[in-house]
Amino acid sequence: MEAIKTMRHSVIENPCHACMPLGAILAFKGIQGAMVIIHGSQGCSTYMRRHISEHYNEPIDVASSSITEPGTIYGGSVHLKKGLDHLIQVYHPELIGILSTCLAETIGEDIARIAAEYTVERDMGAYPLVSVPTPGYGGGHSEGYFLAVRHIIARIARPVPKHHRINVIVPHLTPAEVREIKRIMDLMGVDYILCPDYSETLDSPFARPYQKIAGGGTSLQELAMMGGASATIEMSRCVETHLSPGRYLAGTFEVPLYNSPVPVGIEATDLFVNLLKELTGQPLPDVLQRERGRLLDGMIDSHKYNAEGRAVIFGDPDMVLAVSSICMENGIVPAVAASGVHSKALELEMQTLTAGRTDVATVTETDLAVIRDLAVKAEANIAIGHSDGRYLTEREGIPLVRLGFPIHDRVGGQRLVSVGYAGTMMLLDRITNCLLDSKLSAYRPRMLKKYYSEPSGKF
Amino acid sequence: MLNHNTLDEILNKYPAKEKRNRKKHILIKNITQENQEIEANTRTIPGIISSRGCAFAGCKGVVLGPLKDVVNIVHGPIGCGYYAWLTRRNKGVSKAPMKNFLPYCVSTDMQESDIVFGGEKKLARTIDEVVQIFQPQAITISATCPVGLIGDDIQAVARSAREKYGINVTAYSCEGYKGVSQSAGHHIANNGLTEHVIGAGDMEEAPQKYTVNILGEYNIGGDGWVIKKMLEELGYHIQAVMTGDGSFEELSNAHVAELNLVQCHRSINYIASMLEVKYGTPWLKINFIGIRSTVEALRSLALYFGERELIERTEDYITRELARIEPQLLPYRRICAGKTAFCYVGGSRGHHYQGLYEELGIETILAGYVFAHRDDYEGRQVIPNIKSDSDSKNIPDLHVAPDENRFRLKLSPERAAELKDKIALSTYAGMIQDMKDGSVIVDDLNHFETEELIRILKPDIFSSGIKDKYVVQKMGIPSKQLHNYDYSGPYAGFEGALNFARDVAMSFASPTWNYIEPPWAHRPLLEGTLVKGDMENA
Ligand code: SF4
Ligand code: SF4
Repeated sequence: MEAIKTMRHSVIENPCHACMPLGAILAFKGIQGAMVIIHGSQGCSTYMRRHISEHYNEPIDVASSSITEPGTIYGGSVHLKKGLDHLIQVYHPELIGILSTCLAETIGEDIARIAAEYTVERDMGAYPLVSVPTPGYGGGHSEGYFLAVRHIIARIARPVPKHHRINVIVPHLTPAEVREIKRIMDLMGVDYILCPDYSETLDSPFARPYQKIAGGGTSLQELAMMGGASATIEMSRCVETHLSPGRYLAGTFEVPLYNSPVPVGIEATDLFVNLLKELTGQPLPDVLQRERGRLLDGMIDSHKYNAEGRAVIFGDPDMVLAVSSICMENGIVPAVAASGVHSKALELEMQTLTAGRTDVATVTETDLAVIRDLAVKAEANIAIGHSDGRYLTEREGIPLVRLGFPIHDRVGGQRLVSVGYAGTMMLLDRITNCLLDSKLSAYRPRMLKKYYSEPSGKF
Repeated sequence: MLNHNTLDEILNKYPAKEKRNRKKHILIKNITQENQEIEANTRTIPGIISSRGCAFAGCKGVVLGPLKDVVNIVHGPIGCGYYAWLTRRNKGVSKAPMKNFLPYCVSTDMQESDIVFGGEKKLARTIDEVVQIFQPQAITISATCPVGLIGDDIQAVARSAREKYGINVTAYSCEGYKGVSQSAGHHIANNGLTEHVIGAGDMEEAPQKYTVNILGEYNIGGDGWVIKKMLEELGYHIQAVMTGDGSFEELSNAHVAELNLVQCHRSINYIASMLEVKYGTPWLKINFIGIRSTVEALRSLALYFGERELIERTEDYITRELARIEPQLLPYRRICAGKTAFCYVGGSRGHHYQGLYEELGIETILAGYVFAHRDDYEGRQVIPNIKSDSDSKNIPDLHVAPDENRFRLKLSPERAAELKDKIALSTYAGMIQDMKDGSVIVDDLNHFETEELIRILKPDIFSSGIKDKYVVQKMGIPSKQLHNYDYSGPYAGFEGALNFARDVAMSFASPTWNYIEPPWAHRPLLEGTLVKGDMENA
């Protein structure tokens, strides 16, 4: 395998990741009754709301402290405190996330200190304000996501007596995938605390009357219990140690940590259910056995089409790794695996996954312009990733299977399921059908060209 | 209808001070009162979820972004540039496809070290790379928040790049914290384009008769194309469109036009006024949204040039177009008749679309703007009475003087005086004047108020942007996005009115709404009767 270190050029041409606070917003969306305020000028929060809304087709209410020029000179704490007042008065959230931005961090705002001051000044007692320093230049949205989850847990989890429940930390999946993971665990009779649980909040059903804060999410009580859990399963191979919520729980409360991959693909799902089996002592229920069998059956049916696949895969590190494994399992070469953010872990994991191959390039901290060049060089015939990669199709004719975040040019990104045996089957079918589509549309002209010199005849 | 008591009930949710503040931004139209005043373009209340964006969004996102052959560099951390990437559906075609840079997002991706040590060098390197990769004729640099704070001198970087490469490189200090909304960014962009771009071309004369520019038309969903086609058919020559599907080449020669047509005045009125001073080009407010407005715009334009033949041709065209579209509108009108709308958009559209709604039989019962100023609500004549505050003062006014070589008096004072009674020369009306008694006008409507006002006024459709779209739809009310048109359009001109009517009617007529109430809500699905004997057997 060839790990390409990007020459870190100055210009980012068509970025492959968003900024830190965006990911943090998503994490807070998974906490029951939570609202978020972003400390900075209002543009950041407006942009992020727009960006998230367009993917999830859900209202994304995020407040801003709306700092203006004088605030950049005299400090913005007054704005933030006022903003908190208003947010509490109008929405009565159960928890408030306070995020910083490039602006706030550049002028040296200490949001943790402001939050502490506010708690004392307004006599808020134990009211949960969770501040997370998320300057946009500090990392991508996937990093902001984990950092926020870690801070939420650090703020709420208490030293409670040991209990038998299992903590499950999910990376940024779709709400439907979180529901699928919960279904699997329910089937296996696992008693879990899943965090952050945005399965309802970011894909909320139509219901009357309209709720200002969507129902669902990990409750404060559940968060408080996480310190006494019998184990933590953190579905991320790529999260960095200092961002990892599971590490925090292990370090502070000695909750044993299992770093499992995102259960996409048969192997990763096997690992996940096997882990659940061992942790709970429960057998694998018949329903899941049959789902596994059906997946295998489908993989056997599809492998001949997939053997022709050369994929360019891009997005959040954990997603890229997960999709690369599903490709490897069915004979598709993950020719280019790329993430916008820096990820040593992704490079190492890809090395293990593709050991011995020379036709795989992993690149991190990159942009879509570089990805495009690599894809062309690698003669990729399928792209798998978020909708910003659509220009691989437009410019290079590489068809795109949409997956991950954001998906702005299609509906249903929030409802895609690629986890578990059933989800893996759905993703694999989408990939296979995309390859079949190219094959079938090119098949006749190719045969025609090859076997008939006169291109007038029709089959 | 909303009365002051119900309004108070809503606002009582706020702390007293904020209640007083918000009250000044909300009006109930009262026809017995002559000049109703509203507060606008003041600071957003922190923590109240507003739809406003930042100066950078107004500058790079709105005004500069649509220029297709210009590489717009975003100098800042990655997020800002990423979020402003292709988010406005401003369409563009290019004769030279390799010179169409609309699909690109170029950012300096500032890192922590750049914040500490400054980003000027990185910006200069980025320009070098951009010139190498794209070879554009022009580059813009838009600053985001951290840039101003760490003191990068982007103007100096632009200057040396201009010298180094001999191309047009301009820098815009549109940090997001400037002003109170995207409006500040419009102004900053207007200043930069007037100072460095318009007039940079070497044309001295209009290439043909009836040469005009269209200002404040961003070609969302192809609106600009409809307008252009219509005007060209009537014999006008469009020199430059600012800035939808616009190009540097055309824009740099915009000074030769005989007249500037202004569509979205909020975002571009500064350029209109400055070009009048600098080159003697008068401006005419027009609105190509809605049938009557389009007719009026075409008539005003013909009247401005005043030639018989043009006026007649215009009338013929109007008659033909009306005859063509009126019958097609009928079925849509039948569906729309008697419905009500909220129309909360931007800085001009909140007003522009009301006429079109009315033509379909839909009454606008609430309207407002996200980032407008008082003159957009009350009419341009109030500008002298608007108090400037610390936020508006930090956007410098650019003072231009008549251009020594290129200033031409394009309209004599006598003719101007004569026309002023007949057409909207150098002026625009406010939204308030056009609204019905009892309707509501809200500036900077926020999410909380949106939800409360919907509950009370129960509109049949809500026009706004994506941030409130899903709130509205979750409340069971159709929404019509008027920022990006929900991937539809064009909505301008006669053609556009038809598209709009179809889209709105389709929203009302969709069978989807019928399924909100499940069948079991009112009556049991299975009905059975008790047959004698059953009980005994049971
Ligand atoms: S950092 Fe500033 S410029 Fe960038 S989006 Fe936020 S407010 Fe706008
Ligand atoms: S990169 Fe920084 S300034 Fe830009 S949107 Fe993200 S947090 Fe805001």
